[in-house]
Amino acid sequence: MTALLDDALRDVIDRLDVGVFVLNRDLEVLFWNSFMVANSGKSVSEVIGRKLPELFPELPERWLRKKVDTVFILKNRSFTAWEQRPYLFRFQHNRPVTGGVEHMYQNCTFNPCRGDGDEVEMVAVTLQDVTDLAMAHRALEIARDRLEQSSRVDGLTGLFNRSHWEQCLVGEFKRSKRSGTEFALIMFDLDHFKAINDNYGHPAGDEVLRAVGQCLQQLIRETDIVGRYGGEEFGVIAPDCDLDGACGLAERIRTEIEALSVVHEGLPIHVTTSLGVALCSAEVESHEALIGHADEALYRTKHEGRNSYRVYRSG
Amino acid sequence: MSDTIQLSADQCDCLQEVVNVAMGQAGDSLARLLGVFVTLSVPKIEIVAPADVHRIMEGKYVSATRQAFQDGKGKDGLRGEALVVFGDSSFRELAELLQYDDEDMGCVAEQELLLDISNVLNGACLTGIADQLGEELFYSPPSILGQGERIAQMLERDNLHWESALSVEINYKLENRSFDCDLLLLMPDTAISHLAGKLDQILEDL
Repeated sequence: MTALLDDALRDVIDRLDVGVFVLNRDLEVLFWNSFMVANSGKSVSEVIGRKLPELFPELPERWLRKKVDTVFILKNRSFTAWEQRPYLFRFQHNRPVTGGVEHMYQNCTFNPCRGDGDEVEMVAVTLQDVTDLAMAHRALEIARDRLEQSSRVDGLTGLFNRSHWEQCLVGEFKRSKRSGTEFALIMFDLDHFKAINDNYGHPAGDEVLRAVGQCLQQLIRETDIVGRYGGEEFGVIAPDCDLDGACGLAERIRTEIEALSVVHEGLPIHVTTSLGVALCSAEVESHEALIGHADEALYRTKHEGRNSYRVYRSG
Repeated sequence: MSDTIQLSADQCDCLQEVVNVAMGQAGDSLARLLGVFVTLSVPKIEIVAPADVHRIMEGKYVSATRQAFQDGKGKDGLRGEALVVFGDSSFRELAELLQYDDEDMGCVAEQELLLDISNVLNGACLTGIADQLGEELFYSPPSILGQGERIAQMLERDNLHWESALSVEINYKLENRSFDCDLLLLMPDTAISHLAGKLDQILEDL
């Protein structure tokens, strides 16, 4: 009965949908199941009695020896996981059509096999194909990155949306208070934007906003943070920037937007902008107050003729 | 938490002795594995509540791994999770000892190294303890809990369901290299009661 059971078990292990092979301390192969045959292309008779690193020169031999030694010395299981070591053997994966991966991802376990005494005589290695898991994990990561991106970015203009931009402003405000450095805030909106929507239709208005978004992204420094604050209202946070620098940036934004020519259904549309500049100096109490200052300067620009900028002056 | 299981003074002494022996064996295994002389301090053991775990390496940026263990006797047996918390150790030197090739030493290889060392420490320490208690333990593969973070952050995010932990603070010196780590055995109360029962048996046999 026992012999029959042993045979049956051996058969089950041979047919498992998991790689199973057994090594001695010299890394000679003592057992090699069908999964290993099918995936390595090496038959049982080819591998038995031969050293694994000779059969597979691409294996990291020094590392493998140490790994197997660990099991012999500590009499303890040892593992490899696909997250850290994607594969032990460079096997093809079994989804050549739907794949999108080059190789089979593998999780391996190195198990000690004790002999009659307490000493470890052999190491039995199991190799699991975790390609599906790895793929699902990777898809999840990509989706998460996209989600994170889309939760920060305004779809139309490609600029940061209001909530993320305001978070950045709060961060910059705190940093400025801590380090005692100043930064500038520019708020601006497009002049007579409603008229564009009324005269040319909303798709034209969207086209203009998209063009302004692109223009701003090319214009600002890498450290500047630009966001869409409202419908046609925008904000630029300019770290480590004094009043002169901020005025220079405001003027550049004004001229670049003035120079834009958005062609909609064959007709060119031109747009101008009014800007307000405020400096976050030591006296400014909150980020809301700072936005208030820039807005106040913006209203003055509007009152005094548009297509220009004004600087907030306290008192 | 005040309702944390407490061990009696005798049980504590006995556990300390069991852990000393186990860690001695673990140190010996490490020495044979790495081919270097290993010295270790007497492990400091303590039963701690979850809130107290945040004090471990407080304020320091650490790396940590987790590995589940169980004795195969179900929910009243010895089971839990082993956390290994690494301080600011020199991975390059450890990598050299474990014969990782230089070109491997990226972030991912560093993770594999953390996992390998954790597996060695957990295996050696827990098997050592289990042997003395007449138990056999089974382990899951270890995984990374977090890297370059504070321990409080990692545990908060993970929302662990355990009541008490046996904290084993160990400090290894490998020849002229030294590395510090904390080994935490997180166990549900039932497992700590089981452990206390086993300690009582050892005490009776003395």
